[in-house]
Amino acid sequence: MTALLLDGVTKDFGDKRAVDALSFSVRDGEVFGFLGGNGAGKTTSLRMVLDIIRPTSGRIEILGRRPGRENSADLGFLPEERGLYRTMTALETITYFGRLKGMTRNDARTGGKALLDRFGLGGSANTKIEKLSKGMAQKVQLATAIVNAPRLLILDEPFSGLDPVNQGLLEEEIMRLSRQGSTIVFSTHVMQHAERLCDRLLLLADGRKKFEGTQDEARATLPARLTLIARETPASLPGVASATRLDEHDGWTGWDVRLEPGGDPGDLLQACTERGFALRRFEQSRPSLHDVFIRIVGGEEGQQ
Amino acid sequence: MSNPIFLVAAREFRQIAATRGFWITLLIIPIALAIAPITAHFMQKDHTENVMLIDPSGQAAPAIAARIELDHQRQLLQSLSRYAESHDLDRADPRAVWAHHDHYYSDAEVQAFVAGGGVKHADAAMRRVAPPDTKPFEAPEPDYKIVPTPARLAASDPAALGRVLPAMVSHATKDPTAQPINYAIYIPADFASGRAPVQVWSDGPVAGDLMGVLQETLTRAMRLHFLEAQGVRPEMAEAAQRIAPMIAVNRPLPGKGHEQVMIRSILPLLVSYLLFMSLMLSGSWMLQGTVEERSNKLIEAVLACVSPGQFMYGKLIGTIAVGLTMVAVWVFAAIAAAFATQGMIADILRPALEPLTQPSVALAMIYYFLAGYVMISMIFLTIGAMSDSFRDAQAYLSPVMLIIAMPFAIIAQMVVRDPSSMGVRIMSWIPIYTPFTMLARLGAGVPLWEVIGSGLTLAAFIAIEVILLGRVFRASLLGAGSKPSLAHIGRLMRRGESE
Repeated sequence: MTALLLDGVTKDFGDKRAVDALSFSVRDGEVFGFLGGNGAGKTTSLRMVLDIIRPTSGRIEILGRRPGRENSADLGFLPEERGLYRTMTALETITYFGRLKGMTRNDARTGGKALLDRFGLGGSANTKIEKLSKGMAQKVQLATAIVNAPRLLILDEPFSGLDPVNQGLLEEEIMRLSRQGSTIVFSTHVMQHAERLCDRLLLLADGRKKFEGTQDEARATLPARLTLIARETPASLPGVASATRLDEHDGWTGWDVRLEPGGDPGDLLQACTERGFALRRFEQSRPSLHDVFIRIVGGEEGQQ
Repeated sequence: MSNPIFLVAAREFRQIAATRGFWITLLIIPIALAIAPITAHFMQKDHTENVMLIDPSGQAAPAIAARIELDHQRQLLQSLSRYAESHDLDRADPRAVWAHHDHYYSDAEVQAFVAGGGVKHADAAMRRVAPPDTKPFEAPEPDYKIVPTPARLAASDPAALGRVLPAMVSHATKDPTAQPINYAIYIPADFASGRAPVQVWSDGPVAGDLMGVLQETLTRAMRLHFLEAQGVRPEMAEAAQRIAPMIAVNRPLPGKGHEQVMIRSILPLLVSYLLFMSLMLSGSWMLQGTVEERSNKLIEAVLACVSPGQFMYGKLIGTIAVGLTMVAVWVFAAIAAAFATQGMIADILRPALEPLTQPSVALAMIYYFLAGYVMISMIFLTIGAMSDSFRDAQAYLSPVMLIIAMPFAIIAQMVVRDPSSMGVRIMSWIPIYTPFTMLARLGAGVPLWEVIGSGLTLAAFIAIEVILLGRVFRASLLGAGSKPSLAHIGRLMRRGESE
């Protein structure tokens, strides 16, 4: 089943096009990364999914329904820019958001207490937000998003502004909810988190989709890269696009080798064997998502 | 599942109710009502002023004292007459002078009243026919009291008096047993000749009525002296002094006429003022809350759960609930004070609460109050949604406050002076002033067509306002950065374009 579907969605603000004919789908139970640089259209897309703003054209389906507040019982949302009511207590805050999402007061309080206990904030349940540290407030914010055990959790740049401890906590919660069957969509421009969490991902630039698929499919879009230590230059071997000399030791030379697009490192190894091409090392370097991002989205946007 | 509008409203209410400012404002009127009778009691203490007469001839002082006493008795008679009229007690003695309310009491009538037993006798007669719960008659205190003249002063010459009396009347004397003197009056023995002046020392500006008494009494003595010198027989001269016109007085019954307009307008004017006060306070609290929601970046998380419309209505309802709670507490305190207190406060509050006994007036007041609240709160709400900080909000708020607040004082004055004047009627049809003006006018009576017409106009204005400002509110919630210009606000009203 499809948890989220966008079909040709466009959003214009005046004469500026923020999202351009965006189409993708997220399967039930998936952890889906929504990657793009600043101003790529991630937040606008997520706001349209949540019906905070309406698309100029296109169709959105969320859990098989049209976007709207009637879905809020099944949704969790953690916005990029986060804040809480300073004068409310931690538990009141979580209960309030739980009730806004259709929970009963008792269920929201019980769920809120359980989450605060799990996050190590059981003793601060009745402390006002203004008295909590920033890290504690961040945990309360996360609790407001997941108190209703959402079927679909949408996180907009969830790791931005979090300290390393809370980043770890958030990753754990994402994995826990995923194991329990929730679908998770999160936007980020920090590739390490996407690498650790995503089943599939989408790359967005200037409001347009640049890639959608698994991490392996994303990496496959980059030419394979190898480190060889050989007696001779591998430049003349079939499928090699370039070979750069790295260092030399006892008559052996290190080479940074790039294959032609679509080239298979296995084919190169086979060619070496068949030709008696002497090798002391044959190491395939796996391209990172960061490399993929830089390649697809473009230079400056990939800077963290 | 609770309606999200009411969840937002309840949160808004709780947030405002948790502030110290809310409680101070809430309690200020009950506290004021509680201390008002005490203050009034203290303020009434020093009403009577002490007058010392220094009269070497011994002829003028008794006449002046008699005149002051006669004027005080006239004041008592007038109060009794008004009391009898208010409580329908004329039947106690229809022939008594206090049962005649249609003229200014002559000296002869006052003297007859005193001779007939004065207040004591009249009050006893009224008590016999008055229902048991009738408020007792409270005699006004005399304006002036003649204090004895010390022997050392009675024999002093004007020059010596001029050295001693200024200190006495300015209470600078060191003698703690000395009675405070407000006026010291020296009447020379030969004042009738016109050669020596009558001298007055006072502790402040001289009272016109006391000078009137002095002038009239002494003039009378001088005229008598003159007439006798002209050969007029003493009894004829005396009779000539008593010639006085009969003055008929036509005035409305107590609590009617202009007095009625004044008293019956007190509650509506007060409600109008309360609307204004509570609106300004709860509106600014709500505005602070909205600015906080924007600056704390928590709007987006809320908007994922409730629509901007639900959010807006929730905030409006929460603010109205705050305002109504304040006004309910204030009105309850006023009613409690009206029944718990006596004297001036109760005299004003009880008739002032009378308009509420007419369901149509009470309904109209509730309508205009609520409509006023929605109309002005909507403006505050939109300003809050457009502002990143309270300072930003001030830029919009100041002109709006000026437009709303400036005419308020004028409306109140105009309503008291003439509730059906053209200016007041025109203001009733300008929607942003309709609630204040109509609330203020209701006590004096407003034609039904005007109530319905201005009410419908106001309703239409509010509907359009909620639609247009609602668009600005929704579009501004997630916006950030520079304040929108008036042109941009205009565009948002027309198109409701988001972000």
